[in-house]
Amino acid sequence: MSAGTRPRRISTAPTAPGSEPTPAPPTPEPAPVRPREKRPFLLDFFPLETADQTRLSPFFDHLRAGKLTTTRCRKDHSVHWPPRTACPQCHAEELDWVDLPDTGTIYAFSAVLGGAPLGMEDEVPFAVGLVDLEGGSLRLFGRIEGRPWTELRIGQAVRVEPYDVGDGRFFYRFRVVE
Amino acid sequence: MNVRPVALVGGATTPFGVRAATWPELAQEVGAALFRAVPALRSEDVDSLFVGAAEPERFAFQSHVAPLAAEQMGLRPTRILQRTELACASGQSAIRSAYAAIAAGLSDIAVAVGVEKMNLPSMAEANTAMACVMDRPWDGPHGATAPPFFAMVAQRHQLEYGTTEDQMAAVSEKNHRFANSNPTAQFHAKTFSREKLRRLPIVAPPLRLGDCSSMTDGAAAVVLVAEEFSKRYTDTPAWIRGTGQYSNFHNLANAGSLTDWVGLRHAAREAFGRAKITPDDIDFAEVHDCFTISEIIEYEMFGWCPRGKGGEFAADGQGDVGGKLVVNPRGGLLGCGHPLGATGVAQAVEVAQQFSHTVPAARAVPDPEWALVHNLSGSANVHSIMIYQGGAA
Repeated sequence: MSAGTRPRRISTAPTAPGSEPTPAPPTPEPAPVRPREKRPFLLDFFPLETADQTRLSPFFDHLRAGKLTTTRCRKDHSVHWPPRTACPQCHAEELDWVDLPDTGTIYAFSAVLGGAPLGMEDEVPFAVGLVDLEGGSLRLFGRIEGRPWTELRIGQAVRVEPYDVGDGRFFYRFRVVE
Repeated sequence: MNVRPVALVGGATTPFGVRAATWPELAQEVGAALFRAVPALRSEDVDSLFVGAAEPERFAFQSHVAPLAAEQMGLRPTRILQRTELACASGQSAIRSAYAAIAAGLSDIAVAVGVEKMNLPSMAEANTAMACVMDRPWDGPHGATAPPFFAMVAQRHQLEYGTTEDQMAAVSEKNHRFANSNPTAQFHAKTFSREKLRRLPIVAPPLRLGDCSSMTDGAAAVVLVAEEFSKRYTDTPAWIRGTGQYSNFHNLANAGSLTDWVGLRHAAREAFGRAKITPDDIDFAEVHDCFTISEIIEYEMFGWCPRGKGGEFAADGQGDVGGKLVVNPRGGLLGCGHPLGATGVAQAVEVAQQFSHTVPAARAVPDPEWALVHNLSGSANVHSIMIYQGGAA
């Protein structure tokens, strides 16, 4: 990449051009929800998701409905990650929500075998990785569930899995496709 | 634009490690060490203080650390007092800011200090602080910290170029060996063979404990002055000849290739262009070996070896005494530990001590003229570089 191309542009064709995400198919194997104890905000990694806290609350509403989405600029059509309130390319504030693919392949992975942050100690060991979403549009980082890290490999197929954090909030992770 | 030449005229480092000392106590300790190391320095001459500190809010429950550090060090800045925060590069940021202030004529004599207290009674709390360096609301909930990120970098480098665990262990063996000659290093008294390193537990596959720098408490400080004041303090100044910085992403989704550190190449081009030298002119380098794979990729990105050959460069001893150049003679982050705010300043202290021939023979670089200091920060998404020249103006 040359100096003239910064900041990096994410150019991609979104899966659906509409401004609202389509309803998701039912999750194949719903993972059990682990109740989550209430933590002070400054010791809690999960974001505040409601409309009184963030302008990106639709992202979390869409997750709750089973879909991973992000923003796309109405002017220059660039697709962003993470979702935004202003386009980093042209600075327009007119953005639409678009669906992201719900499958992808592992680009790189590792695992946390120790040294986990607060609230994650009893999840060790856990696998994380960078996943190329289908269509080569975005490469997202996330937890990878469904197999121990010793059984993961680069190129393995995964699907996006929205999940209940345990206190009513939703986040997303990846699960190895059987 | 005319910029005034700036000299680094001396510095000092506290012992690094798991210290029975608080953040303010480390600042006091490095202040005392600095005034011992630079005998001509008087408090009233220091017009500006730049304080590199990455996360005192999380690690020491303390904001507004610049005046705190000034009071602890016995300084009363009259021109510029500020903290610099750039995670793992916070210390170099303090030096770059002092350099900019002196070069522009806003300061004549400045101290740049870096302080970090990282070891807490609860290591989970300390790890939580470290995780805040990443994109906390998006990457943080997945458990993103430095080890799994750099583990993925190592995995891709192994896949793309065939780099081996033994080549990574060669970096760690070298830097730990250099640290044996540095009494301020966290692992000063510990020896590590490649075989021993490869038997240590896995932290984040493929990285083992010996591939990772540690959680460290420590502080370091340097004095920077305008050219006209340098002779007051030393006969062997380190002149700042070039500097560069570049950042092109933050969220891990926007990293692009994990093995091609675009930001480092751009920052290097800027720094070398300003210094009007080439990478081949560098006699020794203090580069950011937060993980063994980092130093391997840095060999490649600086152009000291071809792309993909960093592992071979390490295993062949090309970054060791007698090789192409000496890399991390201080002991690196691997051997010295990595107190985030202090690291970049401690690297500059090593530069000053190499130029003044005050390091033990085991790590002395023969007749050095040009030195380079590099820090990455976060997920290698920012690269900061400084180039120093020894000798008279």
